Amino acid sequence: MRDLWLGLPVLAQDLLLLLALLLPLGLIGLAVLRGFAPAPLVRAMLWRFRWANALFVLLIAVSVGLGIGLLAQERGLRAGTAQAADKFDMIVSAPGSEITMMMAAVYLQPTSVPLVPGDTYAEIADHPSVRIAAPLAFGDSHDGAPIVGTTAPFVAHLSDGALDGRAFGAEGEAVIGARVPLALGARLEPAHGTGDAAEHGAHEGTEFTVVGRMAPLGNPWDNAILVPVESVWATHGLASGHAPDSPTQLGPPFDARYFPGTPAIVVKADSLAATYGLRSQFDQRADTMAFFPGTVLTRLYTVMGDVRQAMSVMAVVTQGLVALSVMVGLMILTRLFRRNMALLRALGAPGRFVFATVWSYAATLLVSGAVLGLAVGQVATLVLSRVVSARTDIAIAAPLGWPEIHAAAGFTSLAAALALLPALTVLRQPIIAGLRA
Amino acid sequence: MALALSVSDLRVVAAGGRTLLDIPALDLPPGAALGIRGPSGAGKTTFLHAVAGLIDRSAGRIAWGDTDLAALSAGARARFRAGNVGMIFQDFLLFDELTALDNAAIPALFAPRGRRAGLREAARANLARLGLTDPVRDVSTFSGGERQRVSVARALANRPAIVLADEPTAALHREAADRLIADLVSVARDGNRTLVAVSHDPRLLDAMDRVLTIEDGRPAERQAA
Repeated sequence: MRDLWLGLPVLAQDLLLLLALLLPLGLIGLAVLRGFAPAPLVRAMLWRFRWANALFVLLIAVSVGLGIGLLAQERGLRAGTAQAADKFDMIVSAPGSEITMMMAAVYLQPTSVPLVPGDTYAEIADHPSVRIAAPLAFGDSHDGAPIVGTTAPFVAHLSDGALDGRAFGAEGEAVIGARVPLALGARLEPAHGTGDAAEHGAHEGTEFTVVGRMAPLGNPWDNAILVPVESVWATHGLASGHAPDSPTQLGPPFDARYFPGTPAIVVKADSLAATYGLRSQFDQRADTMAFFPGTVLTRLYTVMGDVRQAMSVMAVVTQGLVALSVMVGLMILTRLFRRNMALLRALGAPGRFVFATVWSYAATLLVSGAVLGLAVGQVATLVLSRVVSARTDIAIAAPLGWPEIHAAAGFTSLAAALALLPALTVLRQPIIAGLRA
Repeated sequence: MALALSVSDLRVVAAGGRTLLDIPALDLPPGAALGIRGPSGAGKTTFLHAVAGLIDRSAGRIAWGDTDLAALSAGARARFRAGNVGMIFQDFLLFDELTALDNAAIPALFAPRGRRAGLREAARANLARLGLTDPVRDVSTFSGGERQRVSVARALANRPAIVLADEPTAALHREAADRLIADLVSVARDGNRTLVAVSHDPRLLDAMDRVLTIEDGRPAERQAA
């Protein structure tokens, strides 16, 4: 059975799960409504207290929407951060925290860390299976955009060659991310430091000209200004990475003797096997640390997965509580229909018909709330995605997926079962007391 | 076909033990019209509810034809009402959000599928007979007299043998009340229906074959003039 299930296409699995989750709703509906047509009365009940009913629907929709919106957002965040790290196969740095280094190198949230010396860099760069070994240099910014020193081959790797203009070919040239509000040919002066602590004028006389713009990457590098690493070193009064007799040389190979050090080296190897080999080689040394950002993210996701499970449980519990509150509200609301229900029974309507009418009324509110909740969830994820993207520069697409549809379907079935309670309450009310109410 | 009413030793006692109704014997031939009068709180409406089979705990016999309602379960009494009884209330008890036709055809909603169309047509014909020519208008736009006529049409939708009316003219002005009395008597007589009407309205009571006065839950009968 398990093999049969696993052998099904994913779409078929999702559809079948959806049907299974909606099955209780269908079965309850069939059992309750069989032989009756209470729709006109239900419409009348919905219309009579339309504002109160609308409030109930809205309450349910917000509860469902926020629950599934948060779940979708968490999934989108995982996908966005993973996609952002896509171009960073392996990072080598001085020993320390992998997460700190990943945040610095991939998500451009640098902190003060020890530097990898030139001979270690040379060892990595000279390795026969290394295709790219890009040193990174941080510390400056322009108008809020971080300036990152690196190499032209890394720019080509990062942008997949999708450049408007060209990569930098000389000191004083810059390539900008897609969201940097500068035009090709624009000139910029770096400020020392980043954010509110940036010191304008600290690098007076240093200027970059924008010669290329990368296509959108969906990560913080969209907001970065990439310049030759030699320029960053020179700006800070450090050696250029090359021997004094090669003053115009740009990019690798670097001369270890004149290499000022780098906080992180982004490494791209020929093959996956080679990448693993390199990590093994440089992670077992006392002076370096090598890690895959993807693996670090996976470990983070595992922790987040626990949080996610807790969030899911909390969302379900919250929705259950809201459904219960709505049930109590409905029980109170159905007292307003007490005379009408007593009338039906006085006219000879079977108890099951009255039951079906009240259940249909309650179920309509709950199902409408759940469906509207999907729309609220979609809007919530759009808003959250924009807020998070604006704060992290990580492109987050969090459309509602099957898990959210399944959650809404499960809630609907649960609510349909809970809707039996107010119907039962009405049925237990004495007819004569109802007629005199 | 009209049904005779035969009540014997009918007693309804309140939860606290107070006797609400005590009718030793009452016989009404098929197709007759019985008016019930008496002071407020005397037990008139309780009597109407009892003969409608709406009171769960009553002692004695309430027989419509061969059917003793007092011996039936609540479900069986509901089925009896659905097939044989039409009820009219003082304040109409209509669904204001529905049209006159939808209100008059409410019994169709819980009738067997095969009878629904027929009941709806009967409701339409009843509205026309009662002078309500715009059956698709919302009843909220109707006058009091028109609303009560809609409730009469609803009571007649299932072609009942018995019509039970609780103060049907109490909420109407004189002209509308007179018209309703004429309609009520007419539909009862023409349809050979047994009519029981609780009322304080002398004109309605005068139109009945018999009038039963109930005081303190007990009968004090007089023949109508």
